Amino acid sequence: MTERESAEEAPTKKAADRGVGHSDGILGNHVETDRTLLEGTRSASCFRGDVILPPYVSRLDAELYKRGEEVCPSKAIALGPEGAALDKGKCIMCGMCQQVAPRAFKTVNSFALPVTTRRDLLVAQMPGPGKEGPGQTPDEVGARLSQRIKKLLGRSLAIREVDAGSCNGCEVEVSALNNPVYDIERFGIHFVASPRHADVLLVTGVASRNLELALRRTYEATPDPKVVVAVGACACSGGIFGDTYATSGGVDKVVPVDVFVPGCPPRPEALLYGLLLAVDRVGPAAPV
Amino acid sequence: MNGNEVLVKVGRASDVPGICVSVRDGFRGRLAMIACSDERKTASGFALRHVFDVEGADVFIVLLSRLNDGKLGSPPSYPSVALLIPSATLYEREIKDMFGLIAEGTPDPRPLVLHEQWPEGTHPLRKEYALQTKQPRVGDRKYQFLEVEGEGVSEIPVGPVHAGIIEPGHFRFSILGETVVNLETRLYYTHRGVEKLAESLSLDQAVLLSERISGDEAVANSTAYCQSIEKIAGVEPPLRALQVRAVCAEMERVYNHVGTLAALSLDAGFAYGYARLALLKERMMRLNEEVAGSRLLFGVNRIGGVNVDFTNQSSRRVVEEMGAVRADFERVLNLLRSESSVMDRLSGTGRVQLESAVEMGLLGVAARGSGMDCDTRRDHPYGAYRTMMTNARQETRRQVTEHMIQLAKAGGDVLARFETRVEEVTSSTEMVKKILENLDGELELKTLIAEDKLEPFGNALGYAESHRGQTLHWVMTGEDGRSIFRYKVRTASFANWPAIELAVLNDIVADFPLINKSLDLSYAGNDL
Repeated sequence: MTERESAEEAPTKKAADRGVGHSDGILGNHVETDRTLLEGTRSASCFRGDVILPPYVSRLDAELYKRGEEVCPSKAIALGPEGAALDKGKCIMCGMCQQVAPRAFKTVNSFALPVTTRRDLLVAQMPGPGKEGPGQTPDEVGARLSQRIKKLLGRSLAIREVDAGSCNGCEVEVSALNNPVYDIERFGIHFVASPRHADVLLVTGVASRNLELALRRTYEATPDPKVVVAVGACACSGGIFGDTYATSGGVDKVVPVDVFVPGCPPRPEALLYGLLLAVDRVGPAAPV
Repeated sequence: MNGNEVLVKVGRASDVPGICVSVRDGFRGRLAMIACSDERKTASGFALRHVFDVEGADVFIVLLSRLNDGKLGSPPSYPSVALLIPSATLYEREIKDMFGLIAEGTPDPRPLVLHEQWPEGTHPLRKEYALQTKQPRVGDRKYQFLEVEGEGVSEIPVGPVHAGIIEPGHFRFSILGETVVNLETRLYYTHRGVEKLAESLSLDQAVLLSERISGDEAVANSTAYCQSIEKIAGVEPPLRALQVRAVCAEMERVYNHVGTLAALSLDAGFAYGYARLALLKERMMRLNEEVAGSRLLFGVNRIGGVNVDFTNQSSRRVVEEMGAVRADFERVLNLLRSESSVMDRLSGTGRVQLESAVEMGLLGVAARGSGMDCDTRRDHPYGAYRTMMTNARQETRRQVTEHMIQLAKAGGDVLARFETRVEEVTSSTEMVKKILENLDGELELKTLIAEDKLEPFGNALGYAESHRGQTLHWVMTGEDGRSIFRYKVRTASFANWPAIELAVLNDIVADFPLINKSLDLSYAGNDL
């Protein structure tokens, strides 16, 4: 364990011996985030963050892509005359395609990057090596975010999170932004209780039919200029739930979306990246 | 008989209520699920399966009855059991929406899953209803909430979009001053059509769907699903695969319980406790990622086995990290327990009495916190728990007694559920260590299922104990044995949601978030 841990241990014991209260027993009032949790991008080597289509598969080798297309639970792989295309907005990063056709599909541990148009999530077979992941720590992304927010808004950025029919996986990751590791408030971003106080709507889920109306009203209640960030495969496209009687096949079918964050669920770093794009979209109309 | 399932075919649907009562009283059966399926084309009429979980024995009793179309245009109907067994009410409302079958004499005929803007006569789980059907929105119906009248009584409507980062649901409080005199919940805002969708997926794809029933119970739900398919095929995964499943299931329990305890601390107004515990949750989620390639443990299970494995090195790493998390956890807990401002908020708040818990058929932490002795891992031992749980709790006379005393102490309040979770973090951590130290040497991680093993319309129950309680899945395979004819899911959240309406009574509105969190109900797992 780290030095800090062992340093903690000692006073706890002493306090217990002396039978005194916790105030000088457990760290006092001093909190220190474990910085090792933030070093590097830290995604584990087996993390399934993105899927790429390696370039060295012959386009004529359609059989491999076909296998992927058949097995994909969210219909993210489509075969066209131009070869295979992968819709990262639909991909749930399950890695099934890699299991059946490892030569044609490869999962990598850098996360899929957020984009501003739905079209940008469609990728064809890669002509060259895959795009490099952002390779920055949450701290670095956050620092850029914080500068941008200060310059554009002159105050902090307010977010309202709306669950529009998610499996709650995305909620777990959005709440993780509040934990001491990511601690999003230090970048001047905070979650607010009402859409009336928000600059950004962070929407997760399939935009279920039962929630459609509430989502539309939440959007209307948010003052201009406002930005909508669709978080996760479900919000981008319906994900594995698709477009059915109960869903609407993506948040953009209900309200205009400015930023799409792919992933199932997107990790907190990806959310920070999405917010970085979102801040730029608030830009023009905001007071300087 | 199908493993531990006893199938009783009931000739006339009108006999069902009487038999239900006999099963409840004679066998101490708890209504665990009512599964309906549309078998008009393939067998005869609609099939209803009343599933009872027998207390004290590893047995499920399934009462199968069939109904044909009603006379001349009137919808098919069957006698309600809701007045005899209150927990049947929600199932009967659900069946009415999804299949259009009427439960005669049910005390609550209001719609449940399909909100008022759906046109009348929409029944998505009927076979003739296409998955992609888009229906117009109608605006002439209104949901009838219970109205409380009297001087000084007012209403607070909350949601579906909440103030925190939580899932959507509508709560209608009736209050007198600060005190809640009635609460009604309105859910199903996250209804994504899981059960209908499964009918269009392959058996393997449905594993991924089952993980996304409720993202934070991915391992439990996919385990339950995989087990029901394995049971139909009569196949058992290799021991090592079962052990890996159990390790991941316990890791899931730990990260979620730690997260819930963090949120409880925050809702009690103690941010420092939240920060410390949230840090531990993050550490657990990173460990999840190292093990399964996903912070939420997606992708662990497959039919017949698992996709992930432990090496000596990774086992050691998991044991060490969880040990470190637990050590820090205990420190934070010492702190929380010595903060009177936290303990006062938890103690006596949101009480659910044992009798009510039994009557409502509560599960998991909510049930154990009220003194009910239930745990699917022990009551219906599955997978690696077959050798673990019975030993853990019933080794010696003394341990049994201690266990009973512990249960008798459970007060049914937020504090009791808090302590139950704390205890489970400890026991799960120990269990992970024990399993990883005894990993089977066999390297094969899956048993393949031969094509002909899955008979047409084979069906079975699969179950697992998630961090919320028992999750029960019933799968019927399609005609080809390679597809799903019907997938019925009942998570612990479905069974536990009614508890909140009771728990808040006579407490103040400000305690609601605390009570809600202590029950830790999943909206997605309920709404499907």
